[in-house]
Amino acid sequence: MSVLSKRPSLNKMVDDDMEDYSEDESAFDSESESESEDEEVMLTEPSKKSIYNRDGLLERLQDISWPDNVEWIHKLTIDVNQEQKVDVNDDLTRELAFYTQALEGTRKAFEKLQAMGLPFLRPTDYYAEMVKTDSHMQKIKSRLLVEKKRIEEAEERRKAREAKKIAKEVQAQKTKERSKQKKDEIESVKKWRKQRQQSGYPSGDNEDMNLPFEDGKSFERSQKKRPYVAPGDRSGGKGKQGGGKFKNGMDKKKKTRDHRDSKFGFGGRKGMNKQNTSDTTNDLKGFNKGDFSGNKKRKR
Amino acid sequence: MAKKRKQSEKEASSELIKKKEEFSVERPKRTLLGWKDKDVEEKKQNDSPFFRNKEKVLVTCSRRIIFRYRHLMLNVVSILPHCKKDNKIDSKESKGGALNELVELKNCSSCLFFECRKQKDLYLWMAKCPNGPSVKFLVNAVHTMEELKLTGNHLKGSRPILTFSTNFDNDPHWKLLKEIITQIFGVPKDHRKAKPFHDHVFVFSIVDDHIWFRNYQISVPHNEIDKVDRGGLDKMTLVEVGPRFCLNPIKIFGGSFGGPTLYENPYYVSPNQVRTHVLLAFCHFLQIIAKRCDLGWDLLYGSLPHYKIFKPTTLSFKHQSSQHEY
Repeated sequence: MSVLSKRPSLNKMVDDDMEDYSEDESAFDSESESESEDEEVMLTEPSKKSIYNRDGLLERLQDISWPDNVEWIHKLTIDVNQEQKVDVNDDLTRELAFYTQALEGTRKAFEKLQAMGLPFLRPTDYYAEMVKTDSHMQKIKSRLLVEKKRIEEAEERRKAREAKKIAKEVQAQKTKERSKQKKDEIESVKKWRKQRQQSGYPSGDNEDMNLPFEDGKSFERSQKKRPYVAPGDRSGGKGKQGGGKFKNGMDKKKKTRDHRDSKFGFGGRKGMNKQNTSDTTNDLKGFNKGDFSGNKKRKR
Repeated sequence: MAKKRKQSEKEASSELIKKKEEFSVERPKRTLLGWKDKDVEEKKQNDSPFFRNKEKVLVTCSRRIIFRYRHLMLNVVSILPHCKKDNKIDSKESKGGALNELVELKNCSSCLFFECRKQKDLYLWMAKCPNGPSVKFLVNAVHTMEELKLTGNHLKGSRPILTFSTNFDNDPHWKLLKEIITQIFGVPKDHRKAKPFHDHVFVFSIVDDHIWFRNYQISVPHNEIDKVDRGGLDKMTLVEVGPRFCLNPIKIFGGSFGGPTLYENPYYVSPNQVRTHVLLAFCHFLQIIAKRCDLGWDLLYGSLPHYKIFKPTTLSFKHQSSQHEY
């Protein structure tokens, strides 16, 4: 009963009647903490009843231990100093401590073995049964490969994402630069005009110089939308085609005709739609490729 | 004619071989450090002529052991070439006597007994037979060799190098444990199943009053094997082979599987007690909730799915019985 320090209070609680719990209100907090306990539990303080027979232990040790003059080669034991205290719950440092212990021990042992002139590593052409079977090692290998591949893929994806981000930034920078350049040019032209004006060339003198780009617009196609007009159609679109000539009777028919003409084009160039370009001539999509059986027949 | 010629050829070849053998015997042995003189070697071997390690370990387990622990046992069998595996044994009160008899029958001098209880707790007995001492451990943190993250591999039956952390020399009980472990886990020199190389290393380290076991493969880059004296040691790496486990010593007995108790771990709590404790804490928690929410006792417990488990009477009964662990 005395083993767990928290025990007595707990025990009492269970043995108590259910009704008289009024005094134990404060115990709630302390007990709820103890709920989240691990599998591994150690006592905080050593129990006093435990047996420790020092002499008996040493006597038994004397009984079983090998004679003192036994050579090291029979035992193969190495003591390695543990530098720091290792925290058990920190997996990484714990494993590292074991690893360093093993490594140091092996170095010492190998030095001893070498001093004795004994072989200690198997030659490359020495084949014998291993602890793990080949099929098991194959499994391990395949798992390692899969893991490696996964890591590589993740790395690639990450790189692509970053590259994309950078590209976006670069693009934004470029457009900004371009617009700035444009602005500067316009500014410079304006400046030049002003200078000209000031230097004595009156604006009325040369009206042609009043170019359209001077008021901030560049040489752009007019963005005016022409409704229902094919891109290459120069007929002028719906607005230019004679409306109002026939006011009755034929009017309705004419209207639909007009509409269709404006939509599908009538007169003017056909927008280069039906002419071959280098792309269309090189495009063999429409032909059956590779099937020359007909030709062969003809040859025969 | 042809037959005759063949025979004569054979004779000639055998003679040649004989000659070669004679010649090779006469040559001094070549080692990493150079040519070795024969008489020096003989001297060394004669140093302790009386000692010969004839350790044999019997490895068994109890009935109803779960597969994970059984695999652990099989792994231990595979890394100890000087062990004998035996059938499962009922873990009754009288198992000590039966085990002792079995060890004697099998001509063994020590025993590893894996005892599984309640399908969850694994106890490991290490005993020197026939007249003690013996130790009982609780085994935690078991990882078997089959786990794929342990990527190492080594020769079956090569003699391991045993490394101990220095805190094994602090207390007499640790000293005794160290001696027992060296005798059980050290593979005897010149054992017929042992191979003459050392390509793995065992780690026994005391951390937090537990003995942690690790098994590493020693791997040296292939072209460096014969250059170990010239810096090949620095390039040596270790790869874990497994198994892993952690031993929590419970008791040390004077005899084998019994006898007077020499040591008792003062910090030890049996897993049964731990479980009961958790259950009790939960029970108490529920009681307080019931009180706070003004629920009736029966109402609260009746609403729980496992009514019988949390019934206070069963709890107290369980609790009392758990004192009689071993």
